[in-house]
Amino acid sequence: MLLGAVLLVGGGAALTRFVRRSDVIAGGSRRGFNAEQFALLEQVCEVIIPTTDTPGAIGAGVPAFMRQILEDWGTENSRTEIGSVLEAVEKRAWSKFGAAFLELAPERRLEVIAALDAERIAAKDPAYSKFKHLVLVGYYQSEIGATRELRYELVPGAWRPCVPLSEIGRASAV
Amino acid sequence: MDFDAIVVGSGISGGWVAKELCERGLKTLVIERGRHVNHRTDYLDFSAPWEVPNRGMVPEAEVAEHYAVQSQYYAFNSATKQFWVRDSEHPYSTPTDRPYNWFRGYHLGGRSITWSRHAYRMSDCDFSANQQDGNGVDWPIRYADISPWYDRVERFAGISGVTEGLAQLPDGQFLPPIELNCLESAFKKKIEQEFPSRRVTSGRCAHLTEPTAEHIALGRGPCQMRGNCERGCGYGAYFSSLSATLPAAHKTGNLTVVTDAIVERLDYDHAKRRISGVRVIDANTKQGRSYQARVVFVCASSIGTAQILLASQSEYFPRGLANRSDAVGRNLMDLVVGIGAEGTHPGFLDRYHYGRRPTGFCLPRYVNLTEKGDADFLRGYGFQGYSRRSSWERAEHEAGVGAELKERLRMPGPWGMRLIGFGEMLPRSDNRVTLHATRKDGWGLPLVHIDCTHGENERRLAERANRDAIQMLVSAGFENVRPLGEGKPPGHSMHEMGTARMGRDPATSVLNGHNQAHDVQNLFITDGSCMTSTGSVNPSLTYMALSARAANYAADRLASGEM
Repeated sequence: MLLGAVLLVGGGAALTRFVRRSDVIAGGSRRGFNAEQFALLEQVCEVIIPTTDTPGAIGAGVPAFMRQILEDWGTENSRTEIGSVLEAVEKRAWSKFGAAFLELAPERRLEVIAALDAERIAAKDPAYSKFKHLVLVGYYQSEIGATRELRYELVPGAWRPCVPLSEIGRASAV
Repeated sequence: MDFDAIVVGSGISGGWVAKELCERGLKTLVIERGRHVNHRTDYLDFSAPWEVPNRGMVPEAEVAEHYAVQSQYYAFNSATKQFWVRDSEHPYSTPTDRPYNWFRGYHLGGRSITWSRHAYRMSDCDFSANQQDGNGVDWPIRYADISPWYDRVERFAGISGVTEGLAQLPDGQFLPPIELNCLESAFKKKIEQEFPSRRVTSGRCAHLTEPTAEHIALGRGPCQMRGNCERGCGYGAYFSSLSATLPAAHKTGNLTVVTDAIVERLDYDHAKRRISGVRVIDANTKQGRSYQARVVFVCASSIGTAQILLASQSEYFPRGLANRSDAVGRNLMDLVVGIGAEGTHPGFLDRYHYGRRPTGFCLPRYVNLTEKGDADFLRGYGFQGYSRRSSWERAEHEAGVGAELKERLRMPGPWGMRLIGFGEMLPRSDNRVTLHATRKDGWGLPLVHIDCTHGENERRLAERANRDAIQMLVSAGFENVRPLGEGKPPGHSMHEMGTARMGRDPATSVLNGHNQAHDVQNLFITDGSCMTSTGSVNPSLTYMALSARAANYAADRLASGEM
């Protein structure tokens, strides 16, 4: 049984196929995702949180976090849900631009993800919510996301109840 | 005799009893059913978010298999999982249409590690409530009886707060408060103008803002505003059995602690009218053994204590130990929670807060007290709450991706506030803990069966609390105001009480005004089961005061040879 129906049209076959855990272990490949799926996941995450003056999702290890969390935390149902989001990305890339997501130029990738995000957030789609939640947790609760992009101190040492935002300058990660 | 005293349970109540008895020179044995926990070294309080297992998320399959109930509690996550029982290993039964959420941990220190640390005094409004409206039985004590003991436990535990002079929320021996933030201060001003009979004050909590010499001598330090307190605190900045009472008891040289020892029953010697032994089962080997002492305190939590008494049947007490009244297991209560409201505020966008304080604010009860209006219910509710600016988590529900999203989340979101209601629950004899007729746990002990529902009074009170919360937020300029819910099942506030209530009449109550069993002179119970009514505030400080008071009473009686 393949987890996550393959909904691809055109030539991107198997890009978003989810691999069963037993298959993965037997095959010795990356846990939960095969190489093509992981490459797609990496780029989708990087579009959602890109590299700017601070590292983006790939630099902060978000794709690796997603892979680990789906293996150690998620049920098969969650793995299927996350896989379905990747499938939807790929499907939209083909229907909109007639090419695989990974073959698209950066601005077209952004267009695909932005449209999907707006649509799925408006629909309160649980699979997409879970996906976005994991990307956000993966980034903003990573050391890079929490300390370089936002602000985090393990031991604040004091409570300052009402300070000018300019003194702190950024949002707190926790 | 093995010991002068035995204390069953090491949570907030048991820890206090052990400390007081040990300091009175009594050789004291604390029996804890769960495992040993090392203060500091067994906590994950120094883990950054990226170091916590699965960023705090407990695996979905593990939750479904082992933590179906416990995972519903706000303080359950991968860094605190060790402080909650596996529901799969410690089942209880309820009628299928009447859920009861029994949140608990079996380990040294019990729920004193994971409690919310809010610490409030009850008042004579509470102690006289049953007498005034005829529900339940009258408390055998009044505020004057417990007031000096509140003083004593507050000084030792370390409670931060503001002196307010309110009759319904008496002041205590406070350390400096943890101040309200910008929006909370503005909210306070607005509410106290619009509703002069209401007050907003800093949440009184068991955190050391300025430790005293006594605190420091126990190795406790000031609160570092780290948050995540339910993981345990290596600074000992909040009160727990592990940071405070057990170390103090240990210092006397009179304390013995055994862990992994599940109390099976208390043996009763009718000729002497005394508990003659405490029988335990080793949690790991399942071997039985017994301990003897001159006095026994049961502080196993309201449901756990009822279970032990009901299981301790004898020829003389066929319905369970100290249960001539048939009140053991009855009148189970919990504060009504899952009510209140939340909203966002458009102002203060150039202001922020720094640090992760362990409390918020408190808006004490006014309904049917300072405001005697048109309420169609008895008793009342108070609110606790907090305001903060949202951060990256808001993006989960907001459209947006890419550099625009990242730029937006770099700055905090709008201020939000939650007003969380805590409602009083009336005692009702059919809200009840019994032993299951056939099902047994992994140690061969009958399962607890809990049959408990909210009544019409609780439903009306919850409805009004939501209405008030919405009204207050709207009047203070909040937007997107919505109710938090229509109430959670009983048990959800983790404040179970009432199953061995205090009272004046042995025919209708289990304990006298000193937490001593009417029927058995060397048996004392000072956990939540002793509570004759709930009041509308977190009850832990009251358990502390009653525990210290009863322990000293028992020590006096032992010293004078009267027991």
